[in-house]
Order: sequence, then C-alpha cells, then structure tokens
Amino acid sequence: MTGKRKRETAIVSRSTKTKETSPPPASDAQDIFRKYFEAQFEPIEDDVPSKRDAEESDSGDEDNFEDDDDISEPDSDWDGLSGESDEEHVVEVVEHKDASLGAKDLMDKKARKAFMSAKPPSSADEKKKTTKATKKDDSDDDANDAQNLKHDLDLQRLLRESHLLDSASELAPTGKNRLKALDLRMQDLGAKESLYKQKNMPDAFRQGIKAKAISRDEKRRREAKENGIILEKPSKIAKTDNKRRERGIGGSSIGKFSGGTLNLSKEDLHSMQSSRGRSSRGGRGGRGGRGGRGGRGGRGGKATRGRF
Amino acid sequence: MATTSQPPLRFTTHHNLVYRLVLSTLTGHTVHISQIRSSSPTNPGLAPHEISFLRLLEAVTNGSQMEISYTGTILVYKPGLITGSATGVGASGGVITHELPSNCNRGLSYFLIPLCLLAPFSKAPLKVLFTGPGVITSSTPTGDMSVDSVRTAILPWYNQFGMFNNVELRILKRSNPGPNGRGGGGEVQFTFGHQIRLPKTLHLMNPGRIKRVRGVAYAVGVSGSNNARMIESARGILNPLSPDTYIFSDVSSAPLVSAPDKNNANAKKKIGLGFGLSLVAESSTGCLFSADVASPPSGGEAPEDIGKKCAFQLLETISKGGCVPPAAATTMLTLMTMGSEDVGRLQVGREVIADPNMIQLARDLAKFGAPGWGIRDAAGENEDGDVIVSVVGRGIGNVGRKVA
Repeated sequence: MTGKRKRETAIVSRSTKTKETSPPPASDAQDIFRKYFEAQFEPIEDDVPSKRDAEESDSGDEDNFEDDDDISEPDSDWDGLSGESDEEHVVEVVEHKDASLGAKDLMDKKARKAFMSAKPPSSADEKKKTTKATKKDDSDDDANDAQNLKHDLDLQRLLRESHLLDSASELAPTGKNRLKALDLRMQDLGAKESLYKQKNMPDAFRQGIKAKAISRDEKRRREAKENGIILEKPSKIAKTDNKRRERGIGGSSIGKFSGGTLNLSKEDLHSMQSSRGRSSRGGRGGRGGRGGRGGRGGRGGKATRGRF
Repeated sequence: MATTSQPPLRFTTHHNLVYRLVLSTLTGHTVHISQIRSSSPTNPGLAPHEISFLRLLEAVTNGSQMEISYTGTILVYKPGLITGSATGVGASGGVITHELPSNCNRGLSYFLIPLCLLAPFSKAPLKVLFTGPGVITSSTPTGDMSVDSVRTAILPWYNQFGMFNNVELRILKRSNPGPNGRGGGGEVQFTFGHQIRLPKTLHLMNPGRIKRVRGVAYAVGVSGSNNARMIESARGILNPLSPDTYIFSDVSSAPLVSAPDKNNANAKKKIGLGFGLSLVAESSTGCLFSADVASPPSGGEAPEDIGKKCAFQLLETISKGGCVPPAAATTMLTLMTMGSEDVGRLQVGREVIADPNMIQLARDLAKFGAPGWGIRDAAGENEDGDVIVSVVGRGIGNVGRKVA
C-alpha cells in the first residue's frame, strides 16, 4: 500500500460582492457614523450603494479575496428576485481537493521495496554522487574513444560509398551523390526499399520502365552471345495466369462481391438458371469443400455436366 | 579475556543495566551490580526482560559467567569473548534462536540496540532469530522504539563507522504489545555480518537540514484503514514542512501464540493487536531523527491522534538539535569510545547531552576506564546552543579479531 495522499480541505466563501479597495476617507468617516447610528437605533434604508453595504458586512472576515470591479459591477445592476440585496447570504463552498503532488505521490514500487526491505535504507544521494565522480574521471578516456569511433565510421562509409565518388571531385559526397549515399546508409540501417523508389506512377510509365529494363537485358544477352560470353540464366518471370483466384472460405462462389453487394453478371445468371435443376444434387464443389470434391475439380465437373 | 586480577566494578540499581553489561562485555571488566530493585516489595530483583537479555548475552558470547543472588537483587557478570553465531556454541545452523518469555513487556529494540553494539566486535557474523511469545516489534509504552525505527534510524548510523555490509533486520512477523503491555508474537531476524577491528573515527559536526521524511505505518490484526488514517494526519502536519514525505503502510495479521487450556492442548490465541507509526527524518548530511508512537495496549486512541502525536514527536526530536537524536546518542557515543585512539567529535543538542541517561552513560564509561568527554559549544552560527562532544577512543576494538 502506498502512502496516502493528504487531503486538504479548503473552505472558500464565494461572495457575490467582495471588494478590497480602501474607500475614500470621507465616506469612511461617514460609514463610522452610520454604523454608530445603526447600532443605536435601526438600520438606515437609504440609497447608499449596495457596494458599501457589502463592504461592511464582509470586511471583517473576508480579506483574502481579489475580485475585480467588472465582476462586482454587473452584480450591482442586478437587484435580485426578492428585491432585497442578498449580500448577507454568502454561499459557502467547501472544496475537497488533493493538495499533494499527483503522479509523483504514488510512490513507485522500487522506492517501497528499497525502504521496506530488510536492509537499513541508505540515502540515494550518495550513490548519485559516486556515479558522478566516476564519470568525471573517465571523461578524458570517453572523449578519446568517441573520436576514434567517429573516425572509424567515416572510414567505413568512405569504403562503402566509394563507387559514388567516381564522378565526384571531392571525398564528401555532394548533391545527387549525397542523396544516393544517404539512401545507401538507410538501406544499411535496415530500410526495406530505396528512399527514392517511386510507389505510385502512371501505368504507362511503369510499362515503359519495365519494357526498357527488358530490352536492356535482352541487348546485354545478345551482345554477350555474339561475343561468346556465357551469362547467368535469365531469371524466370512468373507468368500471371488469368485463372480465377481462390476465394476465402464463406465467400460467394458466384458473381463479384463489391461495395457490400453481390453483383451477378448475365453469364452468372445464365449459369445459375441453367444449373438450377441439378443444384440440389450437390453438383457444386463449393459446398463440400472438404469432401474430396475440391474447388476447381468440382467446378470443372460442373461445367461439363452443365452442358448436358 | 578478562584479566582475573582486576576487582569487579561495582554498580547499583537496575538503571542502565543493559549498557553496563554491554560495556562490561566490550571492555572485559567484570561487573558487580547490587541493589537491583531491592526496595520493591512485590517484584524484587531482575525483571524478566533483564534475565532474557542475560540469556542473549550468554548465547552470543563464549565463556561468560553470571551469578545471580537468590533474590535476584545482586548480579555478578564476568564477560567472555563475543563469538557471534559460531556453530557449536549456542547457534544451530549459524543462527542463534532467542526466545523471549511471554511476560516480557519491553519492545524488541530493548534487546536489539545493545546487541547491535556488540555485533561489530564479534568473532563471527551474528545472526539471531528472535521468537517466542514475548517479541514485541512495535514501540511500547515502556519507551522502546519500534523495530522499524531500529532498522531505519539506528542501523544506518553504523554506516558512519564503516559497517554496512550484510546488515539486515528482517521482520518476519509483526506484533504490538499484548494485553497489559505484556507479550507479543512477533518474529524478527537480525543479521550483522560486518565485523571490524576498530570503528572509524567519527567527525560529525554538521546537522544539515531535513530533506526528507519517511515512515512505516503498521497495523497488526486490525484494519489497514488505521494505517491510512495515521498517515493522513501525520502527513497533514509534516507535508507543509517537508514536501518529500512518504509513509509506507504495512498491514499484517495478528500473530498466533499457543495458549493451551485443559480442553485443547494445542489451542492458540491471537495476540498483539494494534497499530502504530514510525517516522524517520533524514537531513542533508545523513543525520537521522526518528519518532515512534503505537496504540496503547488498552486501546481507545484514534489513529488520527497517533499520527499527529508521532509527527509532533518527530518535530520535537528534530528541534532538540544536534546531529543525533537522543535515541541514537548512546549508540554513537559508545561506538566512538570503542574506536581507535583518536579524538572523534560529535555535535549534539544541549538537551540531548543533558539527558539523565546520557549523563549516566558518561559516568559509567568513566568507571569502565574511558577518558572523559570534552564538551564545548559548537562553532559557527549556533542558534540551538548545540555542543560538540569530543570522545577519545579506547582502541580496544575487537579482541576476537585481534587474536584471530
């Protein structure tokens, strides 16, 4: 259990009318006289602004409020429902709030463990101090090491990216080479693709790029063949077959499902209508997917049967 | 180790008995203590806790002899070597098991603090398991601090003398005092594994300022909400003074002790219910001040009051000034006396040094042959009127280490 937060109770009286301005001395004297009079006889009901009334009633116990004139001004315009000024009835608002420090207050388990263990607790500051001191001692060595590491990294990069520097005149790559070098470094660090690989482009462009690559390869092979150079075998380009793709389980085996609707083409309708008579006999492969009559075989069978 | 030729040092009354025995063990002087409660018509002689402490001394030493007169009003103690928990002497498996009787009305700190003084000078690491129907881990009405305070406010002082390794005080079972303040059912394991030849010379003259307050609220066999209430009221007082105030709560069930009756020989009863609070304030220079309040055995005190009392007690302890609170002053000055033949200095509050117990300790130390303390006003801006006590070490240290 962590230490409980201390709950502070603050009692704030919100008066509609509190002002902490010293009234002019002349009216002050008047007030004193008035008070004295009222104490002797009865309260004067006059046209003295209610503001002063409030001051009198509140001046004793409410010194710690800072309200502006613009707050009290509209109030003085408003006479209240009963017509009687309700300055006397100060609404007392009790606020319960936690005076403590919120998240910091919830002592983490580590601190609890450290304090409540069997060992006598040691002050954490000593540890901090010692670590700081040791760091200072090592700072020279650290600087040296860092310098060496930096040189190492530079050399490695230079070796790796030297092919980019063929055209360049200086060692640090600039311009296009710099971007290329950056790309290489990114890939070295684990980027999947080049930074500059264009993802989206018009189909015509893509086709053109592909065609160019193919023609370049062809040219290279042809020239190699003419010169009697044996090249590596051309990598097999997977042919995209126009076969129907396997649908997921539970998907419809007919039509095209898009936008929440199953669209049936005319052929689909036709095939359905023509095969209606036999559908009850279980000709469809899709129904008994596991029963040995697997997807495509079943469909093939159906097609032939549909003819008859 | 005692040289037999020396006549025993003579003391009277039971006051400061424990520290006299400790000093006797450390210095090797035989003591003769008479008139132990001789004027009491009902309970003359040694009290149960004093007998229990003698047993503990016998367990951790080798070759000590003690003779108690028939009425228990005279005790002669001839100390032996502090062996610690060496197997074969009193320990089994490297642990001395010390049972406290059920009529013991002192808190465990009564035994622990003197034992801590002996432990650094023992030959082997000291491991003692306190069990039995008399172990009270909380603070008691007899003025003993709680075991938590011993761990958090006394043991860290040993750090200053260069003893920090393998010091453990594990509270296995908590217990408040039982009915009438007698008995409890706690279980505490104390390990002191850092034996030294001589404690370091201490110069502690900067009390610093309080930077944090920590504490443990414990409830034994009663609702954990008591903890929350104690913590809340204590924090209400301490938080505005020190924002870094955290009190941890520990709720445990009541310990069971066997209470055989004629129907059931294996009957057990719950004992030691109650709650309490232990607070420790740490200053920027590592000085520790502690306060302890627990619910009285008779009950009838609200947790809020306990929390408030404890917070005020902590503030009072701090207000006494100096580097060490009265509760730790005995330990500190004794260890300084046992240190190397060098002058150690310690700043203490005027009120702390003027305490009758401290004066008694000074007299006893003088009787055991330690040079007197030098006392002067602390230098610098000394608002509290602190004094600096200069203590010359005796350079005896650990006799067992010297030989082995």
